[in-house]
Amino acid sequence: MEEALELVGLTKVFGEQRAVDDLSLTVPARSFFGVLGPNGAGKTTSLSMAVGLLRPDGGTARIFGVDVWRDPTRAKALVGVLPDGLGMPERLTGREVLTYLGLLRGLPEDEVARRAAELLEVLELDHEDDKQVIGYSTGMRKKLGLAVALLHAPRLLVLDEPFEAVDPVSAATIRTILHRFIAGGGSVVMSSHVMALVEQLCDRVAVVADGKVVAAGTVAEVQAGGSLEDAFVSLVGASTRGAEGLTWLSH
Amino acid sequence: MALALTYATSRTLVRMRLAAFRHGLDDQFRRSWIVTGGFVGLALAGGTLWLAGRGDHDVLAVVLAVWMLGWVVGPLFAGGGDETLKPEYFTMLPLPPRTLSAGLLVAALAGVAPVISLIALLSLVVVSGGVAAALVAVPALLLQLLCFLLASRLAVAVYGVLLQVRAGAVIAALVNAFILAFTAQGWALIVAFVSTDVQGAFATGARIAPSGWGLVAVEAAGRGEWLEVLAALAGLVVLAVVMLLAWSALLVRRTTGSRTGGTVRRQLSARTGAGAAGAKELRSWTRDLLYGHRAVFAVAYGLFFCMMPLAIGMKSMLPWAGPAAVVMAGSMTANLYGADGTAFWTTLMTPGSSRADVRARQRAFLLVFGPSTLLITLLLTWWSGDTRAWPLVLSALPALLGGAAGLVVACSVYAAVPTTDAHKRSGNPLNSGENEGETMGIVYVMLVLVAATCAPALILALYTGWWGVPVGVLSGVLAWWYFGRVAARRLDARGPELLTLLRHGRSPAEQAKKTAGFDALPKWRRTLAGFCLGFGAIPLFPQAVVPAIFKLTGNHDTKSWFLALYQDGPWQWIVIVLMAVLGLSMYAYGGLTYYYAKKNAPDGSVAVAAG
Repeated sequence: MEEALELVGLTKVFGEQRAVDDLSLTVPARSFFGVLGPNGAGKTTSLSMAVGLLRPDGGTARIFGVDVWRDPTRAKALVGVLPDGLGMPERLTGREVLTYLGLLRGLPEDEVARRAAELLEVLELDHEDDKQVIGYSTGMRKKLGLAVALLHAPRLLVLDEPFEAVDPVSAATIRTILHRFIAGGGSVVMSSHVMALVEQLCDRVAVVADGKVVAAGTVAEVQAGGSLEDAFVSLVGASTRGAEGLTWLSH
Repeated sequence: MALALTYATSRTLVRMRLAAFRHGLDDQFRRSWIVTGGFVGLALAGGTLWLAGRGDHDVLAVVLAVWMLGWVVGPLFAGGGDETLKPEYFTMLPLPPRTLSAGLLVAALAGVAPVISLIALLSLVVVSGGVAAALVAVPALLLQLLCFLLASRLAVAVYGVLLQVRAGAVIAALVNAFILAFTAQGWALIVAFVSTDVQGAFATGARIAPSGWGLVAVEAAGRGEWLEVLAALAGLVVLAVVMLLAWSALLVRRTTGSRTGGTVRRQLSARTGAGAAGAKELRSWTRDLLYGHRAVFAVAYGLFFCMMPLAIGMKSMLPWAGPAAVVMAGSMTANLYGADGTAFWTTLMTPGSSRADVRARQRAFLLVFGPSTLLITLLLTWWSGDTRAWPLVLSALPALLGGAAGLVVACSVYAAVPTTDAHKRSGNPLNSGENEGETMGIVYVMLVLVAATCAPALILALYTGWWGVPVGVLSGVLAWWYFGRVAARRLDARGPELLTLLRHGRSPAEQAKKTAGFDALPKWRRTLAGFCLGFGAIPLFPQAVVPAIFKLTGNHDTKSWFLALYQDGPWQWIVIVLMAVLGLSMYAYGGLTYYYAKKNAPDGSVAVAAG
């Protein structure tokens, strides 16, 4: 089976802390792959290294066999990325951002215009044409980010928390888009900490904790008979506290 | 009740600020800025006390006015003043606005700058000359300090409000440029207005300004005129209260206002990648008020700087307004990637776009500053009627434009200063992060570097006249091409590192790595090296290069603060050479200290340290 994304021994050290520690992962082509993990587990760091946004201290990543760090230009043509919490060209409107990035990617002018119009309409951003990105809400920024990721029709999407701060209606739209993308032969890697969403959307998952993969496989394999949430809690070894103490909260 | 709450709030805010200050000291960069700044401040405060000791009240009044001006103008250039504690942090606390602003004010007193100003203000005690006057001096100097601080905060707040609308941004830029040009060339205006008693007029003005009220009180106490003492002190109190109220009102506005971009007038209509990159960059200049503000500031500064001497009929500086504007523009806009923040990821993820992006930024710079400075140069040189100036300015201008367009992108890539992302910024448009010191350092270095790019063409023009022009054009094109290429290659090779820097700032670990060798040096050598790098420009440029140019161009009217021009005959050249040697040695000492420290760093190479 062809691999859409292959992470090999990725390592990143920030000061004393090994944020990602010899992390290896294989995402088969045409799969919808969820990366789960508690806050600070190294999800964002791993995905940044996987697509060429953050240089690893060790290991590498391959997108459809192309080494991201040896041949970034070819690799970046194959992937669309939605990073979490990064800026945008703030002084452009949504349509202008898409036009600008599409032209930079070498798409013909009329094609860029067509795709931008369609993406904005589907994502319900087409009424905001006089608004600069700096005035966008968090959810709107996410949707525009997704449009940027899709614009050049990549074979792989890498999405960091694509559903965070997105309203339910838009979330449903995004789910539909992603399903269509998979049906059309694409592959998706998505990080999230919303278990229900991952359970519902993904066919494969990996659980990351302390910068390592602690479990990976099909959803059924990782669930091991229980719910994904139970499996997750037992895998990352977190105790569910919050019931005891905090007596001063009672009125 | 209200007083108790204010006290408790102030106490907590002071503790927060001190805690942040302590953490700041862990950071080598911040520490070196704090130490350097503290050192310079102490020297200035010492100078003020020395002046007070000499007993010349008139001079002291003027010096105190300069201190206040420093408090008001300083933050406008250094990222909106100290904002360790941003008002936005506290919006959700159930505190009345005035309690919060009083607390923030008290917290603002707990810093290096207020302590230094306090030392300088002790000069009021020094000049008091009697027990009664000394007793008056104590409240007077405390009130004076409070007014300095409040004036500073209020200026930042007013400025912040202005910067939210286009017209305001332009007005603020003009005022700002006028003030800064005035500090250098204001003598001409003053000489023009008061041709007889310059110092006396200065001193009278400085006593009328609020910065002189403390001194007025102390002097009145010395003469036993208690009514005047009371009036002066009461004036300070009233002023402080009024400024506090105004500041609280503006704080409320700041923390409750919304921040959206204005409406868009013209949609992007480029057809190619390169065109799109250029169109995007131009929109930063036309839509981002801070960009527009900087552009107006740079051009206005050049104009004011060279036109103020007109007040005494001196036209010989007119031709240089255009070149001065370009130098200022280059140094004000040398952090393009830092200003765009993490939006850089879009360039990084678009294969092959770094060259287009760099060249687009260069084109936008040239488009904004090229035609305007050329027009200014042509008009003002014609106006000056100085025919000998034509080949000089027409050689220098293209060299400077190309040099600035090249250096701006190279500096933006190699020495990016991380700022807070635009969509996460606070309500203070001047405050774009917490790296004011670094930003200021780059402004100074770029002033020198950009100015230096016209040296070959200018020297040639001085000796051969019009031959300087083609050389200027050639050197401009070369600098534009070469530095742009260097910047684009660097983006290709180290783009991810730049993004990491913009995203997370410099991590303590990286800083430790960066400065390990330097830290191993004795403290006095580190301080001395920092001082040399920071101030080497003063002997080298204003005291050597500029007077040399004046002498070569036959300008004998302007002496200003150019030490050499106050000497006789051959001594002028001797002073110029000595100053140049001093400046260059300072740079050499500082640079070599850094270089060897990095070479000897535990993990090795200079390349790592430079990265």
